[in-house]
Amino acid sequence: MAPSSVSEDERYRTSTQYRLWSFTPASLLELRTTTNRSAANRVRDAVRRVREARAASSGNTSEADGGNESRAVSAVPEGEVDCLSVEEELKLVTHFCRQTLQLGDHLQVPTDVKATAVQYIKRFYITNSCMTYDPKTLLKTALFFATKTENHYFRLTKFAEAITATKPEEILASEFLLTQGLRFTFDVRHPFRALEGAVMELQAMANGHIPVGDKLRGMDRRVKEAHGKAREYLKTSALLTDVYFHYTPSQIMMASLLIADRQLISLYLSSKLPPGSGSANAAISAKLMEALDRCAAMLQSMEPGKEQSSEEKKELSALAKKLRKCRNPEKIDLVSLQRAKREGDGEDEKVVKKRKLERERSAKEGEDVFGPTIPK
Amino acid sequence: MANSPLLVPGSTDNLKATTSKSISKSKLSSAPPSSKGATPEASTKASNAHAPVQDMAEQMNEEEKHKYVKADFEILYCPGKKLGEGTYANVYLGHLVTSPSTLVAIKKIKIQAAYTEGLAPDAIRELKHLQELSHPNIISLLSVFSSKDQNLNLVLEYLPLGDLEMLIKDTEGVRYGAADIKAWMGMLGRGVWWCHENFVLHRDIKPNNLLIAADGEVKLADFGLARSFSDPYRIMTSNVITRWYRPPELLFGAKHYSGAVDIWSVGLVFAELIIRTPYIAGDTEVHQISLICQAIGTPSEDVWPGVSKLPEYTVPEPATPVRGKDHYLATFGTAGHEGVDVLMGMLVLDPRKRITAREILEHSWWSSDPKPTKNEDLPRKGGGGAKIGEDLKRRPGVLEDERGAKVARKLDFGGMK
Repeated sequence: MAPSSVSEDERYRTSTQYRLWSFTPASLLELRTTTNRSAANRVRDAVRRVREARAASSGNTSEADGGNESRAVSAVPEGEVDCLSVEEELKLVTHFCRQTLQLGDHLQVPTDVKATAVQYIKRFYITNSCMTYDPKTLLKTALFFATKTENHYFRLTKFAEAITATKPEEILASEFLLTQGLRFTFDVRHPFRALEGAVMELQAMANGHIPVGDKLRGMDRRVKEAHGKAREYLKTSALLTDVYFHYTPSQIMMASLLIADRQLISLYLSSKLPPGSGSANAAISAKLMEALDRCAAMLQSMEPGKEQSSEEKKELSALAKKLRKCRNPEKIDLVSLQRAKREGDGEDEKVVKKRKLERERSAKEGEDVFGPTIPK
Repeated sequence: MANSPLLVPGSTDNLKATTSKSISKSKLSSAPPSSKGATPEASTKASNAHAPVQDMAEQMNEEEKHKYVKADFEILYCPGKKLGEGTYANVYLGHLVTSPSTLVAIKKIKIQAAYTEGLAPDAIRELKHLQELSHPNIISLLSVFSSKDQNLNLVLEYLPLGDLEMLIKDTEGVRYGAADIKAWMGMLGRGVWWCHENFVLHRDIKPNNLLIAADGEVKLADFGLARSFSDPYRIMTSNVITRWYRPPELLFGAKHYSGAVDIWSVGLVFAELIIRTPYIAGDTEVHQISLICQAIGTPSEDVWPGVSKLPEYTVPEPATPVRGKDHYLATFGTAGHEGVDVLMGMLVLDPRKRITAREILEHSWWSSDPKPTKNEDLPRKGGGGAKIGEDLKRRPGVLEDERGAKVARKLDFGGMK
């Protein structure tokens, strides 16, 4: 009856983060490229349709009918549509992930809510394009949804109020799209707890509570410093780069520690894989360091706390401008689109009313037949 | 980091062999292959020619949807296959398109007009956790897709043989013994162990959330109140777990707690299986505490250091000393000495001293006589598909205090001490 031993790795491989959200760099690029191309085609098609509709209706100049349509029409650019490239989309998504972190700071939500929201955005834009769904809107939805999945409840109205020029329905309008883009998997495995665990163990080694020879003795100050620095990498670089798609949480954690204090972490790792005891350890150790170094390099491509240079800012505002000109005109008013979807396919009023009556009746019966609540 | 992972990827390329092909793989990998080779990019390429095409995310959803057939689509051929209807969800019997004999339950979650905060927390919790947990003693979520009107459909494994509550209550029709109880407890213990091993608290363990598969396997269901373990500095709500199965720390308003809360519930399921009536069935929270004091003993600083600091700590006077083994043997003796040891371990007042799921599974009770009954020999109740419909359509996570407990209170006086 003793539980079969299941290693941490075997457990991780059952997670959706591994099964659905882990990619090789090549397969990730391939997916993003496919998404980008198909979205660009659809933008061109949609623009063509809107132009045709406009040409057809230009005879009768009654602009009064349908706010939605006139808005869509006004958003259609002139001339050939210049769509975003994969690289450009990626830059924009990263930029809006940064903004999500700032918005999270503004709303004072915990780190894991921010981190989950950013991963939701990154996952969503693997199979969806910025040209179809505006990241500026989607990021609010992702952050709100993350408050729900990470058990940090925030009332929608309060949430919307705290963000300038945002209505509750705007946040909810893309919630379904978000969950679909996430393939209905909401669990994100972060490296934060792994870091706390490793640091606790390192402290115990430094204080001699875990005997590992003298090498780590008295290094508690360095452990503390490494902890702080590694945490900064996890809170920014790990979220904004693609490391979550390519490495496990423990690898990301270890790579961030390695950046923070290479010597300290090398000692730590060699206490786990003593080089003397057989050649297997040496091979594992080499493999491990190789993976960690690659992960660390990816993390360091986006240093924490580094301000965007003026060129980067210029580039981003140019990209934002470009995006405005290649938005899919049929997907701009998500609030109306979503309402149409729910109402169009859903039940007519009668059914809704009948159901409401049924609900009320069953609630009432629950009260009446068995009497009122006994006071506590 | 006690056991740091030693699996080291050779290179990023084989680190995670998830390719764009396997992204369309669902958990139902053992099922007959469906939508063969319909990788996202393949279908995109194929449909690029015809505008308007769908988002890739939408295409993937379509693929999942078309793997399953809802019985109500075929109502002419198999009438009465709607398993249940409720305000929270409808449940349909369905099957794999490619394999009509592979039955599934399709739980269609309705959009709730009354809830204005978007997708409701209970649906989110159920989805979030069932997506991650795959274990023989936890109900399998095979797939999720959305229908045109944006209703979510959860494809769950079909569990036709009702639940443990039905077996417990049917004292006339179902007879079972110590070996059967041991088998059911083993399955429950393994399911709970897997939740805790994956840092998930179930928070609503009770007999009618333990469903029975066609082969007799018991499966933990209804994850509408589940959550991941909290960080030490983050608080959790104490208003979880149906009252009769709620541990003393939650009744005292603890905001920080562990898997021990589920273990208490497991203990009460064990007790109920033996005596065939709920063991500690209070009418209110205060009543529940006083019944716990009588049945188990009064929580005090002596037996549970720190308990008096919990926000809602109040116990009736005079205090009852913690019951000894003789007391348990008198009521639960049919479980045997070791069985009673396990039960007492589950019902320890101080959650820090309560037995853990792993310790339960490592206990010598399992290797002592009688051996657990084999699944195929377990007593069962007929009754077909109505029960899973009833169970699945309930709002996950809504405690039945408002209705169920009241019903029982009115109708089941005889069963209470």
